[in-house]
Parts: sequence; C-alpha cells; structure tokens
Amino acid sequence: MPAPGNNDRNVYRGVHRVLEWGMIISTVLYGLGVARAWPHPPWISLQAPFALSLPAAARGLIHLDATSLMWTATVLLILTPVARVVVAFIAFWQERDRRFLAITGAVMAVLVLTVVLGRFGLH
Amino acid sequence: MLYSHSFVAVLFAAAVVAGFLGALLGVGGGIFIVPALVLGFQLPVKIAVAASLVSVIATSNAGGSSYVEHHITNVRLGMFLEVATTLGALSGSVLALYLREWIMLALFALMLLYMAWAAFTTRHLDDARIADGGFADARPDRASGALALAGHYHDDALGREVAYVVNGSAPGMAISYLAGVSSGLLGVGGGVLKVSAMNRFMNVPMKAAVGTSKMMIGITAAVGSILFFLAGLIHFFIVAPVALGTTAGATLGTKVMNRMRSAVLKGLFTVLMLYLAYGMLARALALRFQLHLPNLGS
Repeated sequence: MPAPGNNDRNVYRGVHRVLEWGMIISTVLYGLGVARAWPHPPWISLQAPFALSLPAAARGLIHLDATSLMWTATVLLILTPVARVVVAFIAFWQERDRRFLAITGAVMAVLVLTVVLGRFGLH
Repeated sequence: MLYSHSFVAVLFAAAVVAGFLGALLGVGGGIFIVPALVLGFQLPVKIAVAASLVSVIATSNAGGSSYVEHHITNVRLGMFLEVATTLGALSGSVLALYLREWIMLALFALMLLYMAWAAFTTRHLDDARIADGGFADARPDRASGALALAGHYHDDALGREVAYVVNGSAPGMAISYLAGVSSGLLGVGGGVLKVSAMNRFMNVPMKAAVGTSKMMIGITAAVGSILFFLAGLIHFFIVAPVALGTTAGATLGTKVMNRMRSAVLKGLFTVLMLYLAYGMLARALALRFQLHLPNLGS
C-alpha cells in the first residue's frame, strides 16, 4: 500500500492544523467565559431564543464579558469544521484533483444552503 | 436557574466522561450528552440537542486532529461520505425544529437500541478479518477505485500496519445520509451509524472507521449547529462547560483508543447504549402517556 502522496500530505497537514487551532482557541475562550462567570454565579434563563448580535459580542469581548466570550467560542467552534472543508478544497484545487474539488464543493454548497435556510427560510 | 459552581462542575464532569467514551467508540459524545442533560439535568430536549451538537464539534476537533495527524483517518473517504452526511444533517435539523419532545426522545431511544445491536453483532469481526487479511484482499467498487479511497494505518494494539480496500460505496452513502439525519435531529454526531456503515458495508477496519468518522462528525454537527444557532437554541452557558469537558475527555480517550481491542470497545458500548435507551424511552412514555417505568438510576 503506497504512502499518501504530496497531495494527501498537504490535505492531512491542513486539516490537522485547522482542527487543532479551532480546538485551542475555542477552549481558551470557553475557559475564560466560565472563569468570568465563576466569582458571581449568574441566574440563567432556559427560555429561548439565546442570541447576541455581533456588535454586542464585540463590545462584550473588550470587557471580557462571560456571555460574549462563550458566544465567540461557539461561533469559532462551529466555523472550525467549515474552515477545514475550505482548507481541503484549496489543497485539492492546488493539486488539480477535480473529482475531490467537486466533492468538497458539494459539501460547501450544503453549508451555504444551511445558512440561507437558517437565516431566511425557517421562520 | 442559578449557574452555581456545583452545576458547572457536575456538567463539566459529565461531559468529560461523555467525551472520553465518545473518543473510545468513535462517536461525538452526543449520544451520552443528550441523555445526561435531559435525564440528569432536566433540561428541555431541544436545548440539550443544540448543546450536544456544539460539543460534538469540540470532540471532533480534539479527537479528529489527532487521528488525522497519525493517518488513522481516511480523509478522502471522509470527504466523500460528507456529501451525504451534511445533506442528511440539514434534513434532520429542519425536522428537529418542528418535532414534539416525546417523539424526539423515542427516536433517540430507538437509535440507541440499533447502535447496541450493531456494536454487539460485529464485536469480533475486526480481529478475525485483520488476521486473515480480509480487509486488504477485497475488491474495490467503481467509485472507490476512481476516487482512490483505499487506505492503511498502524494498529498499536496489534503492532502492525493494517491495509484495506474500500467498497460498498452506495450503501455507505445511504447510511451516511441517515447518520446525518440522526445528527441534525437528535444532537449526535451520527458517528455510530457512520462507523457501522464503513465497518460493516465498506470493508473499513473499526479503528480507521472511528478515525474517519471522528473527522466527519464535526462538519455534520456543524450543519445542525448553524441552524440551531440561527434559531436561538444554543445556550452559551450550558454549552461552555459541556464543550470544555468533552474536549478534555475526547483528548484523553483518543490516546487510549488505539491501544484497546475492538471487541472490548464494542462490548462496553453495547451495555451503555441499552442503559441509556431505557432511560430515554421511559422519559418519552412518561411525557406522552404518563406511564412511569421503574427508575434505573438515569
């Protein structure tokens, strides 16, 4: 059985790095968020929706607000596997592997459809 | 409710256990997180499903990066099957936004029962096939050959390189779609179905299937997470200790997994699945019919 070619080495390396950094950054932000909530335990509501706007999250991050830290960690965590698909897409593009370019492109199309449906289509 | 120190600590500890078991068994841990949040913390099932989906991504990142680094993951195979799992996850999470709680609980219990059966009936399959070279001698199907999906990895427990040829692409894709539906609908990574599809129908050894599944569950859960996030169902204060715990547990579990024999993993898995299925089914029956089954501690 042959060892992975240069193409696959690039894909493996890129995928590994994205997953690792996604894990590290979101873990640090979640840890900070929990640490900020720890000294004065807040009352939390279980009544949805749980939402925070991007400007509010950005303002909260400056003050290390617990909710903003956790919101940012969640967004980054969700984006990590998305970034992994994009990185793989670029690696396959560089290697001109058309079949896998089409396959990763199809996955990206499903992700775009998900965002469109979530934002505009399900209310 | 008060976000007390004991609440956060117990939530974190439960997530560590879920992440550890998830990594050992190639699943995202959601299969343990959802019952823990619903049965142990009395949280609404949709909040539990949303939190679980995010934690599944965390375990996928933690476990997946290690499996990718050691080439246990078959990245090409994973990407191929992700077309089906992401489409399935989109269907499942749309459905989840509208389904009643007791139906989701009953479906969860059914999925657990299937997983227990699938793990138990294949628990000795791998060792025998690796020993007689069955994984390497199979014929690839058309899609597998064209996409170069064959792979190999080093098995630490057996102390040898294990090569395999991939076939059964059509049933693999179909089951991967169902795995995606289960992910979006029930807050799991769908890893057990994916591992089962690869191991049972696609001639992929258990550990390569686990590593590949681990990478795939992240993007599968991301699809559901995006929908739940946009619907405002992700509770950040619940997700934080759960994601931290599952990451820690998954990192530890991944280190242990490649040293254990498949049969041991699957036996452990079967018992856990049966126990959790009972708890979820009991909760569904209580909600829908006010029928109270004996409590077995869940």
